[in-house]
Amino acid sequence: MTASMRIASVRLLSKTRHYFSSEVAVQPGARTVHHQPASTRNVCLIPVAFLHKGRAYGTQSSSVTVTEEPDLLFQKLSVLVKSHDKAVLDSYEFFATLAAKELGLTLAKVFEPPKNIERLTLLKSVHIFKKHRVQYEMRTHYRCIEISRITGSTSRVYLEYIQRNLPEGVAMEVTKTAIEKVPDHIQMPLWSVQSQEKQGSQ
Amino acid sequence: LIFVSFQTVCRQLNSTLWLNVGGRSIHSSAVCCKNRAARIRVGKGDRPVTYEQALHPHQIAHRKGWLSQHTSNLQGEDGAADRTVEDLFIRRLIYGTFHGCLADELVIKRRGNLLVICALMLQKLPPHKYYFLVGYTEELLSHFYKCPVKMEIQMLEEKSVYKYL
Repeated sequence: MTASMRIASVRLLSKTRHYFSSEVAVQPGARTVHHQPASTRNVCLIPVAFLHKGRAYGTQSSSVTVTEEPDLLFQKLSVLVKSHDKAVLDSYEFFATLAAKELGLTLAKVFEPPKNIERLTLLKSVHIFKKHRVQYEMRTHYRCIEISRITGSTSRVYLEYIQRNLPEGVAMEVTKTAIEKVPDHIQMPLWSVQSQEKQGSQ
Repeated sequence: LIFVSFQTVCRQLNSTLWLNVGGRSIHSSAVCCKNRAARIRVGKGDRPVTYEQALHPHQIAHRKGWLSQHTSNLQGEDGAADRTVEDLFIRRLIYGTFHGCLADELVIKRRGNLLVICALMLQKLPPHKYYFLVGYTEELLSHFYKCPVKMEIQMLEEKSVYKYL
């Protein structure tokens, strides 16, 4: 209750960024729940000759750690997927929206930006025959899923699940808009500080 | 006199009205007018052809799928040339390793770092030889490309024929 009131009273700055930073101090009492991905656990010292095995990756259960540092908050998490095949994007969108609903995330927008076609006109023959050309095109279809008001740990879990199940031939771009506390030196406007000082001196 | 004048009138009519219409001339085309890429020309009707070979490349994304699936040809992604060269090398290597056993073209998929090679094979060799060759190619390619390589093969009795061209 007090935490939510604190959020309402503090004016929030939005900053679009692609990396984490630990500057948010909205809920000092909140704890961050970290999910360590399975790949960073168990650093084994194996000789180089045996490292590259084409077997199944080690599917171990990821450990859950609880830390005291406050969790990051994101105003918007935008996942843009692109592919050559529209049907693959349709099924992936169904999968991602279903996963978001199961996790209880709010889907702000699920839309399809217009496709982009890159066309090339090349000479058909190796040597001459300038009049005879051949045309190729590469179509890129897009799909955007926007999730609003999500925490850092939830976003990490969701993104890891989504990315592990990304189909082949599909690329993903993630844009996160973080919420930060307004810095102390600009909490109060300069003119009100000056007027207070003048009143104090008078 | 009248007959001659009629003839001259006809010739004049010919020259004015039918100058450029219905003219018969020889059309000589350059040799590379027709497209010949990735298609098998229609022949006598005795040559069996698979679905992949029968459909022409303009049918990709319409009636055909992609044989090599990676993200480097998308807008804003790079590495297309490297992936293409890798694909060609893999296709030649596997064509040579499993000589005469491949029923159709390979399908190469890239999921993150993982390289998956899907192949349709004919039952020409005993199974233990297939297992050995699959393990051998996986090991060789993973050492060569420094990434995990998996081969998924499916056995067929004989080549699946779609048409006879």
